[in-house]
Amino acid sequence: MPEITYLEAISDGLREEMRHDSSVFCMGEDIGEFGGAFKVTDGFFEEFGANRVWDTPLAENAIVGAAVGAAVEGLRPVCEMQFADFIACGFDQLVNVAAKMYYRQGLAVPMVVRLPSGGGFSGGPFHSQNPEAWFLQSPGLKVVAPSTAQDAKGLLASAIRDPNPVLYLEHKNLYRRVKGDVAEGRYQTPMGELRLAREGTDLTVVSYGAMVHTALEATEDIDGASVEVLDLRTLCPLDRDGILESVRKTSKVVVLHEATRSCGVGAEVASLIAEEAFEDLDGPVVRVTAPDVPIPFSPPLERAVLPQVDDVKEACRELLAY
Amino acid sequence: MPQMGVSVAEGTITAWRKRPGDWVERDEVIVEISTDKVETEVPSPAAGRVAELLVEEGATVDVGTLLATIDTGSKPGQPHADESDPPPPSRVRTETNGNGTATKPAAPNGKAPPVSPVVRRIAEEHEVDLSAVSGTGRRGRVTKKDLLAFVEQAGDGRAKAERPLHTESPYKEEAVPRAPAPALDSGEGEGEGEQLSVMRRQIGEHMVRSLQTAAHCTTIVEADMTAIEAARGRLSYLPLVARATIAALREHPRLNATLEGDRLLVHDEVHLGIAVSLGEEGLIVPVVHNAHELSHEGLGARIKDLAMRARAKQLSPDEVRGATFTITNPGRYGALLATPIINQPQVAILDLEAVVKRPVVVSDGQGGDSIAIRPMTYFCMSWDHRALDGVGAAEFLGTVKRHVEGWSD
Repeated sequence: MPEITYLEAISDGLREEMRHDSSVFCMGEDIGEFGGAFKVTDGFFEEFGANRVWDTPLAENAIVGAAVGAAVEGLRPVCEMQFADFIACGFDQLVNVAAKMYYRQGLAVPMVVRLPSGGGFSGGPFHSQNPEAWFLQSPGLKVVAPSTAQDAKGLLASAIRDPNPVLYLEHKNLYRRVKGDVAEGRYQTPMGELRLAREGTDLTVVSYGAMVHTALEATEDIDGASVEVLDLRTLCPLDRDGILESVRKTSKVVVLHEATRSCGVGAEVASLIAEEAFEDLDGPVVRVTAPDVPIPFSPPLERAVLPQVDDVKEACRELLAY
Repeated sequence: MPQMGVSVAEGTITAWRKRPGDWVERDEVIVEISTDKVETEVPSPAAGRVAELLVEEGATVDVGTLLATIDTGSKPGQPHADESDPPPPSRVRTETNGNGTATKPAAPNGKAPPVSPVVRRIAEEHEVDLSAVSGTGRRGRVTKKDLLAFVEQAGDGRAKAERPLHTESPYKEEAVPRAPAPALDSGEGEGEGEQLSVMRRQIGEHMVRSLQTAAHCTTIVEADMTAIEAARGRLSYLPLVARATIAALREHPRLNATLEGDRLLVHDEVHLGIAVSLGEEGLIVPVVHNAHELSHEGLGARIKDLAMRARAKQLSPDEVRGATFTITNPGRYGALLATPIINQPQVAILDLEAVVKRPVVVSDGQGGDSIAIRPMTYFCMSWDHRALDGVGAAEFLGTVKRHVEGWSD
């Protein structure tokens, strides 16, 4: 198995699906000859041609809307938002049209929207957001957020094969930072199943995306405590059983995400635990998240806003001592 | 209990903001108290660590009573009494006396911290008396780990066998003062209900006492607010009507009076009470003292200031004392008529209701009548039939109406 980056794994997954199934095609801004802002589709134009690698105008609502139509007609479009932040312009087609199509007309909408998300590189408020919670409020959409190269490829394949519209959050800060041994050829990572990133007995850190790596680093050694780290991988549908199983074992939970705090994935996980595992808790469920503010440009300010290794360490220490 | 105003004799502790062991800065709020009219926050007279709270929440004590002691010798950096590091094991570890029963471990502050749900469940499953388990968690809390270690060490069966015959419960029920609840005559009441706040109970007592004391009667006149509407500018109706009411009180001083027992005291100055709603919490009536000296602009400014401070709980008790007449103004919520309850020991209360456009007959002064659309309102006044009769009330309201309809700056 070759070791490749998270970004290469996304390219690989997309390429494999396109090679396998001629109904899979991609569309987005500058994804053709230019290969995309982050070079995910580098070389695709040459291999698959202009019919399957569309350069679109700067019009997200048109991209998503065209994808909905194509998906209803039986194709499997994969849209790239240049930055996840720009999905706001395509919101109507996504949440009102794509998400509700099956409920209203009984039609499958097998489309994927790729969302390069997250901060950590001074991109400022329009290029660093983690918009996953917006979509969790819109029944009919699935949301995935891989943290490893293996899952980046496997979840993209699952997203493309899924009959529902899927938001695929790829964290920009993982693109070239994270590498892994990724199997060649086609494979799928099942949606709705979390990954046990590290097994432990004293405390569980629930996370996803880039923060999984922060969690692993932060809990490598906290006074010898045995800390379990869960990588949710799929945010909708959530692996409720997987979360609860871990809580029943450790009785203490920190929920960690890079997205803002209020009504986020952390809030949902915390409520799930409060409802279903109250009698297994040995301390309050603690959230470590960005505060409810936009991401600042300034590097020191951005570091202050995004959860850092030390923040996670401190939260875990506090809870372990509770 | 601080002297909150010259006329206050006692106060009730509504909430302690600090607990023993907490650090308090000078002038930081330490306790909330409620006197018979005002709820207020009391700043700490000194910086230091709260040593002892001597009066429980809910208790009413005289002015001058010692409420708490503050240790001014300690430093802010020192740990709070109940947050200090777990005491040395010898203090916490269960000691076994001669007959094999365990003695209660001393929690650092003498009171066991709450148990988490999982600890409670495991303790029940294994029939473990938690007071026999030493806690290593925050403030000596028994953690799941502590309990599992205890269970394992004791062995499931032996833990049962060695249960002490009797251990005093570490929990003490907190004494909550409660008003005697009326007996329910049906078993249909659901839920626990809620305890009325001190303020609500006091409002209730005042209102019931007033109804039992005064011979309430309500008189209503209708008034055309056209002139007021034209003159009020950005002010609400209230200060202008208040000004007209004060003028009428000067002409009918028997309504600017207090009746205590058989003695009617007619006042020279008008101290005007204005009812201010605090939402669900209740109602308070701050007083514009010497209101007869103020213009309607002056009244407007004073009322606004009092209302804002009332909502911020910043009134001093003297600012809610000594009213000679009261105006209540629920009209902006759209109500048309009401029969208010007199604010004892005053003899009347004027209620301003909604100003509504109505078709009315207007006369041109030369015998010609026509129908016009005018902003109209009702002035509803409850008055005490012990102090005056219906004619007096009607005359007074007629004067208010005359001043309102003939308003000129």
